[in-house]
Amino acid sequence: MGGPCRLRLETNEGVDATVAIAAATEEIQRLEHKYSRYLDSSLTSKINRAAGTGTPVSIDDETAGLLNYANTAWRESDGLFDLTSGVLRRAWDFKSGRCPEQSEVAALLPLVGWELVQWDINSVYLPRPRMELDFGGCVKEYAADSAAVQLRRHGVSSALVDLAGDMAAVGTPAGLEGWPVGIRHPEKKDAAIAQVWLPEGGLASSGDYERCLEIDNQRYSHILHPLTGWPTTQGLVAVTVMAQQCLVAGSSATIAMLKPLDEALQWLNELGLPWLAIDGELECHGSLR
Amino acid sequence: MARDDRNPTLLALTSSALLLPIYQGASADAPPEFTEVGVRYSRYKEDDILGRNAFGGGSERYKIDVAQFRMLAPVADDWSFALDVAWEDMSGASPWFVGEVAGQSPKVIMSGASIEDTRTEVSGTTRYYYDRGNAGLNLTYSDEDDYESKAIALDGSLNSEDGMTTYSAAISTADDHIDPTQGSVPTNTLSATKDVSSAWVGVTRIVSQRALVRFGVSYTYREGFLTDPYKFKDRRPDERKEWTLGTGYRHFFEEQNAALHIDYRYFSDDWDIESHTVDVAWYQNFGQDTVVTPFIRYYTQSEAEFFSNLADEEARYFADDYRLSAFGAFSYGVRLSHDLGNWSVNLDAERYRTDGSWGVYNGEVSPGLVDFWRYGVGLNYVFR
Repeated sequence: MGGPCRLRLETNEGVDATVAIAAATEEIQRLEHKYSRYLDSSLTSKINRAAGTGTPVSIDDETAGLLNYANTAWRESDGLFDLTSGVLRRAWDFKSGRCPEQSEVAALLPLVGWELVQWDINSVYLPRPRMELDFGGCVKEYAADSAAVQLRRHGVSSALVDLAGDMAAVGTPAGLEGWPVGIRHPEKKDAAIAQVWLPEGGLASSGDYERCLEIDNQRYSHILHPLTGWPTTQGLVAVTVMAQQCLVAGSSATIAMLKPLDEALQWLNELGLPWLAIDGELECHGSLR
Repeated sequence: MARDDRNPTLLALTSSALLLPIYQGASADAPPEFTEVGVRYSRYKEDDILGRNAFGGGSERYKIDVAQFRMLAPVADDWSFALDVAWEDMSGASPWFVGEVAGQSPKVIMSGASIEDTRTEVSGTTRYYYDRGNAGLNLTYSDEDDYESKAIALDGSLNSEDGMTTYSAAISTADDHIDPTQGSVPTNTLSATKDVSSAWVGVTRIVSQRALVRFGVSYTYREGFLTDPYKFKDRRPDERKEWTLGTGYRHFFEEQNAALHIDYRYFSDDWDIESHTVDVAWYQNFGQDTVVTPFIRYYTQSEAEFFSNLADEEARYFADDYRLSAFGAFSYGVRLSHDLGNWSVNLDAERYRTDGSWGVYNGEVSPGLVDFWRYGVGLNYVFR
């Protein structure tokens, strides 16, 4: 799941914690095996291998549900949330410390565009060779929610699933109104810039942190704009959103990261979910401040 | 959680997310996971009738003690079964008829000797849960000294594809036998039957992350002996058609950790009775384990076309029963529920007060109007 994952739970009398934990862990592994783009055996790899071959790939209800959700997020974000934009990473190597040439980026842009994807409830097809679907933009959040559902099903009434910062809370810790969650300082690796309380529901963060380029005092976010192929340079450094579902929190955070600062703040405000955003000056904004 | 919970983007994202199977699994349309049992005791106690409203001075009225047992258990993956048993012990006097001495206002003549009765009700419900809803079948049998009732009911619900709307419907029918106890007062019949059939449709819509509205319509048809066998001046039509329209709104307030429920119901029947009910309740959570719910209800109804305090026994139909008169009523109370691990305890108390002048409809004020208290205590256990 691309980062440290933690599971915290308080057990009630009569609840077999090991069974509940096993069910939650299995669920996370199931989703990783199904949607990871790094595993050849995953559905994602199968869909990507079939790109441009003329053969759609059959999908189940769950995948159709995720595609439908991604479609809604794409529509609601005017194209900013796009599961096909992962292909841009071929041009951007954030470890190299160099910016790609515009020609490298431009060569990939024809492969980006959710509107090109042919999908319905039974199948999905990427019409251009080398196009890629990357469920990374939503599946970690979805897995956190799904693991929480498993814990609840096994009688756990108080737990926090934390998949590398994407969190889903079942209930709250005894005597507390929520789970204390530290929001990472964008520059100091082990320090928190703020602490928030997560009641039952989801929390997701999106931010540059170590995965960003800084060249000539210009910060390049690792979150790439699907229309330009470049990061939003005048946007937020990090954002945290809470929602009933971690899935909704995650895509809201991603969309905010792709907008210019003022637009991002306004959009988050209007969305109405609790949020915390950090700008380039490390100033905090939002209802969770 | 939402401050502006009407934001269309948030609604679109949330409703698309809720289409995913995992979120549906987490919704209400899953069978119970664990067996639950509960017991409950409650008492209904009518205030004494005042001396100025009754011939022969003030008198005790009805009281009912109720003991209930409930069990709800999962059966296989998609089914549940619930068993409800209730025992009631009723005693006290009730208005027999209304009379008048020249120059005085009408007064009630009570039944005098205390009526004693016990009732046992057994009800079984099996429910099947499918992807987008559930359906239940209920059989109920009720038996008391002078009354026997057998009922069957079917209900079902279906959630819309986006999970934001739930459509529900129910039908039921009951077959009742009345064999009035002889002795305390002369009765209007020795033995009679009645049938009651009812249908209901409703829709509930999530209008924002924190609010939902519901709307429902029902129709009930009663046929047979609808007269009160113990009321001296009572002869009612042998058919009654009733319609109700109900609507409700629920809103959760994040900051207060509380929910407001507002409900309204309109009732109309072909006996010319029309009524309005407004219910307001505030579900206040304290932490995760305690809910305190104060509530208030206002009720008003018009009188039946054949109601009169001094029943005209020459007419085809007549009744002096206060329940068919025009009046208004307030009831208010509080419910408390507290969870302790696998246990939960429920307490409730309700006061009901009525007055001829509190209603919005004109009509003769019945001297038999009743005020009562109701209180109860319940205990549940979940086998986790």
